[in-house]
Amino acid sequence: MADAQARVAAREFNPWRAVLVISLGCLAVLFLAPTVGVLLSSIKTTREIAFGELWTVPRTIYLGNFVEILTNPAVPHYFKNTVLVTVPATILSIALGVLAGYVFSKLPFAGSNLLFLVIISGMFFPPQVILIPLFQFFNALGLIDTLWPIICVHTALGIPICTLLMRNFFATVPNALRDAAILEGASEWQVLTRVALPISLPAIAVLATLQFTWIWNDFLWPLIFTQTDENRTIMVGIVNLRGQYSVAWGVQGALSLLASLPTLIVFLFFQRYFIKGMTMGAVKG
Amino acid sequence: MADLRLESVSKSFGQEEVIHDVSLEVAHGEFIVFVGPSGCGKSTLLRLVTGLESVTSGRIFIDGVDVTHVKPSDRRVAMVFQSYALFPHLTVAENIGFGLRLAKTPAAEIRRRVAEVANTLRIEELLERKPRQLSGGQRQRVAIGRSIIRSPKVFLFDEPLSNLDAALRVLMRLEITRLHNRLQATMIFVTHDQTEAMTLADRIYVFNHGRIEQSGTPMHLYNAPANRFVAGFIGSPAMNFLPAKVRRQEDRFTAAIGSSVVPLDRSLRNLPQGEISIGVRPEHMSVVDPADGDVEATIEIVEELGAEVIAYLQIDATAEPVTVRLPPQRQVVPGQRVGVRLAHESFHLFDSDGALLG
Repeated sequence: MADAQARVAAREFNPWRAVLVISLGCLAVLFLAPTVGVLLSSIKTTREIAFGELWTVPRTIYLGNFVEILTNPAVPHYFKNTVLVTVPATILSIALGVLAGYVFSKLPFAGSNLLFLVIISGMFFPPQVILIPLFQFFNALGLIDTLWPIICVHTALGIPICTLLMRNFFATVPNALRDAAILEGASEWQVLTRVALPISLPAIAVLATLQFTWIWNDFLWPLIFTQTDENRTIMVGIVNLRGQYSVAWGVQGALSLLASLPTLIVFLFFQRYFIKGMTMGAVKG
Repeated sequence: MADLRLESVSKSFGQEEVIHDVSLEVAHGEFIVFVGPSGCGKSTLLRLVTGLESVTSGRIFIDGVDVTHVKPSDRRVAMVFQSYALFPHLTVAENIGFGLRLAKTPAAEIRRRVAEVANTLRIEELLERKPRQLSGGQRQRVAIGRSIIRSPKVFLFDEPLSNLDAALRVLMRLEITRLHNRLQATMIFVTHDQTEAMTLADRIYVFNHGRIEQSGTPMHLYNAPANRFVAGFIGSPAMNFLPAKVRRQEDRFTAAIGSSVVPLDRSLRNLPQGEISIGVRPEHMSVVDPADGDVEATIEIVEELGAEVIAYLQIDATAEPVTVRLPPQRQVVPGQRVGVRLAHESFHLFDSDGALLG
């Protein structure tokens, strides 16, 4: 009897479980702390923040920061430019990744594995390595301070991960489906668009979320390729809100919050596919 | 005119030839089964017929037309895949009408023909469901439905029953036979299960290592196998093979199985002296008292199946276990010493290479 009770007690207290919960809790706090900081700074005056009251619970909610950014004529430009970069670059990189992934997975040819490795290796080059040559290249084309270089670079840099993910996803699509479609009279393009793509929506949702977030949040390339406020994207715009002699914490916090809304909306929109896509292949369906 | 004719078809993948010079003919309305062990090339041959794989050499004719270099969808063949290959994002109706939609058939016509096929296969109530909501047997019917809607010249089935459980497999076998009777269509069915081959086929082609070992009606293959491979492959339980030594005694031959000597058929005129293999079907052996049999044996395992008893024996003279089919009333127990009487007139004799003798 006593033995049984001891066993139950042992089962009830699992130190590893407690350690796990505490570790995950700490991680969650670490991840959320900056967001909470931004949120708090957006509803406080610059004076409050300057007096070191960033982390205190606000006595009043100050909305002046939001009013300031909504009336700032540069902010709509930032948003418009970011959409003009993010949407085409996301669509183009995924489209090219889908095409390349389909070929590598379903229509292999002599040397295709090597070519696949070459494309994938693009993921491992740090952007700083190609920064100067790319700047010189686009400068020679007269495209500096336009959105074109950012779209081109993000499309190109997205191809390796899109190709990798789509190739691996298409590999899980049974060849018999392609065979069946071809016997029914489908062309290769129709196999892709009518069979392979519709059942690849989870993978595409993962890619769309990742690419959209990466491109939307990118700071480096817009900083390098744009020079005037008319062509800045939102992330560079946030930094530009800084005055010459002061730091507008509150205004920057408010714009940061607004700037993160689109990626949040995209994630919420795709999340049910996203979770499915991330766990795909883990268990046999 | 034959619905399907293959002329010296060969197929290589790289340096490896997997189909060797296969020629065959399938008449209109015939139900043909390609049977053979895994990897014997039967499914590859089916893919060559569909055009999903191209031949390395040889020619393929469908309805008298050379289709060797015609694209798959223009060959007027339809295939039911082992995995059914239903499109998971489409409903049953959309799956069945997929080919018609690609061919830009008017929607009303597609609906009419899908309904017709659904009626034939009794799947009307499933038309709006997705494949994941169907059972294995229902998926099978939908896959068949997709294949029959375009009225192909030749139906090809690539091991379509192997994913089903035993009971459903028997049911689907009957369904396919009924469908064949109703459509009177030419069908080629690939399987590695000799029972499926025996029960479905008008004619069977037995394949091994990319070659046709023998073709004929199921009973012809059962009663007159051309070699040891076919003899061992067709029939369940499989034929027994007893190692023996041929001796000539005056005008007739005898075979020594260990220390026992059994007479061979009097009509045999030309047998090589030496090691051979005697093939005996399980039903051509009977269990008797130890003193009365051709050879002595010990019963190892007994399977009582109701309508018959299958006994597995160890013959003293050979290391090979043998299988005997007994009537249900025959009482035998494991460990029992028995004599085994062999029906000498039903022997199949093979040389050491497996070729038929006599």
